This record gives sequence, structure tokens and C-alpha cells, in this order.
Amino acid sequence: MNRRIRRVSRWVDDLLHDRSPRRFGGAEEDAEVLAAAIELQGASPGAGLPDPQFVESLRQRIARETQGEVPMSARVSRRTLLAGGGLAVATAAAGVVIGDRLASPSTAQKELLPVGATWTAVARLSDVPVGTARTFDTGSVRGFVVNRGGAIAALSGVCTHLGCLLQLNATARRLDCPCHSAAFGFDGSVLFKHMPDALPPLPQLESRVREGQIEVLTV
Amino acid sequence: MDMRPQPGEPGVFHVIDGDRPLDWERVYRDHVASIYRLLYLKVGNQHDAEDLTSQVFLEALPRLRSSASGGEVHTYLVMTARTTLAGHWRRRLGVQVTTIDENLVSAEGPAPAAADPLPRIRRILAKLPPNYRRVLELRFLERCSVGETATRMGISAGNARVVQYRALQRAAVLGQEVGA
Repeated sequence: MNRRIRRVSRWVDDLLHDRSPRRFGGAEEDAEVLAAAIELQGASPGAGLPDPQFVESLRQRIARETQGEVPMSARVSRRTLLAGGGLAVATAAAGVVIGDRLASPSTAQKELLPVGATWTAVARLSDVPVGTARTFDTGSVRGFVVNRGGAIAALSGVCTHLGCLLQLNATARRLDCPCHSAAFGFDGSVLFKHMPDALPPLPQLESRVREGQIEVLTV
Repeated sequence: MDMRPQPGEPGVFHVIDGDRPLDWERVYRDHVASIYRLLYLKVGNQHDAEDLTSQVFLEALPRLRSSASGGEVHTYLVMTARTTLAGHWRRRLGVQVTTIDENLVSAEGPAPAAADPLPRIRRILAKLPPNYRRVLELRFLERCSVGETATRMGISAGNARVVQYRALQRAAVLGQEVGA
């Protein structure tokens, strides 16, 4: 017990001196005590007001470290967000999806219409029998092609919640989000979700069938 | 000038003509104080609050769209702060000492967590037994060292540490009862 009292006291000392408190093992037994000390720090004079010197030096650091990068990727449009690969798409798309979620909480399904795009074959029609779906990844777009009663459609592969990449659950005939236990149907509609936020349906991608190939419009 | 992502360069985006560049300086200026404050109230010290605030902006700014509204930008920054804070505690103590409520993330405007913490602290202190209240007031409001606190309370330094520990335990319980 004395050990716990001493190390919490040291931790509080660090806090009161605005130092980063040192690490210690077994903190879970005192997590609530530490949280109480942190909360009380909110009463300290000037608590939570950033040091103007810090604000300026971080501004300079951002300018330096993201040189070129910020203005460049900030010009990302919905179209380019669908471009790029794998994880980068998921993380970058998180931003755009959140934007969409807030900007239009409506549950109407959107259609993504890229400009200056090309048709890319993503699957053979014969490989997607009625009632099934297939994952595709063109390197610039990741999504699913689905066959709903003979009608072919392509859906975005990025969850409309926080931008995680969806996984095809062929057995249950749905698209599962591994992040927050949500799932979409093959029509893009929300089947279930476990978060309080509104969850828009998956956007459709432009698709068509040409000479037995399912093609998706990509940039 | 429409450039496609280059193969083998995932995540590298190229300039699309006609899209405005993000005014990141404005985004930074408008949000740095509120994000710093939110994080300060969750870590309780300037050093960590500055470190985490830096991480949030360096990570989030390159991902923001120029067309994002103020509310969307705020939400994305708070969400980034949330995961940054979780990573901080995981690395530091292996336990989530404090968290940013997921429900705050979708709230527009300043997050409730960043509201004035004083009224709640006063309510908690008011419910404490006198010696517990005294030790916390001396330490956290008057910024006394353990030695000074002990002298002013007429107890030993070791005893002051024990009273402080018990007072924090009690404050933690009361904090849950008092509510937001």
C-alpha cells in the first residue's frame, strides 16, 4: 500500500509541475485515482490555455514537416479519395466519409460519378452468379460487385461510419465492417449497426456489363 | 493537370486542378486552442498536452478536405484526438486512465468535455470530508508541495501523502456520483 501511495504522490508531483508523469507498472489498480488527479488539474490557473510559444512553434513544425503535403492532399476530391491503395484509402476516406455523414445525415443512397474516368473490368459476369458478391480492387478503387437477381451493381468497399474497409461475408450475404460491428446488404443498405450515429448506405459506383465483363468506372 | 495516383505510391495524391488548397493555417488557428484544452483536461499536464496536440494536427491536417465545414473539421480533429489519447495511455501506463467520449465526436462545436471543469470540481470538493478537501485544495488549487501541505495541516509529510491518496480515491468515487 505504501508503494502505491508513494508512486501516486510522485505522479501527482509531476502533474503539478506540468511535467510528463513517469511511467509505472500496475497502474490499473490506481487508474481512477490518477484520473481524479488529472481532473483536479483542470482547476489550476490557466489550465488548458496553450502557451503562445508552443502554438507558434507547432505552426512552424506543421509547415516544415508537411511541406507540400498539406496543400497537395488537401486538394483531394471525392474522386481521388477513391484512388490510391488499401489502407491509405481507408484512412484517407475516413475524412471524406465523416464529412459526408455530417453534411447529409439523410439515408438516401448516393451515386459517385467520377469525371474523366475510365471503365475498368473487375470481374467476369459468370463469376458473380445471382445473389452473390465479389470483392474487387483495381489498385485505385476497392469495392464489391453484386448480382441482385440478375442486376449488376458496384458498391464502395469503405464503411460509411469511420472509413474501415468492409469484408465480404458470403455465407451471410452481407458486407461486414470489422471496426464497429456493422453490416451492409448487397444493395448497400444498413443491415445492422452498433453505434448511435446515423449510418448512411454504401455509395454505388458506376458499373456496366460489356462482353461478359463487369466494368466499373474508375479514375 | 489531372494526375493519377502513381502505381506503387499508395496514398500519394496528386493535384487536381480546380480544387482549392486547404487553408491549413486557418484550420490550425481556429482549432488549436480547443484541441489543446480538450487534451490538457485529459492528461493534466502541459508537456503531454503539447505532445498530443502536435500529434493530432500533424496527423489530421494532411487528411482534411478543403471543402470540409468547420463542424466537420472539428469532429475529425476530436476523433483524431480520441485515438491519439488512447495510444498515449496504452504506451504510458497500459490502462486507459481517461478517454474522450465517442459521443462527443459527432457533436458540433466545442466538445462538452472542454467545458469549464471548475463547477464540477467545486461540487466534488464540497462533498469531501474537511481534511480530504483541505489536502486537495492545498495541492491542486494553492499548488503547495507535499512538505508545505504537511506543515499547513500540522501533519507529517508521509501522512500528507496518505491523506492525499485517500482524498483522491474518495474524489474519484464522488466524481462518478456528481455526474457531469
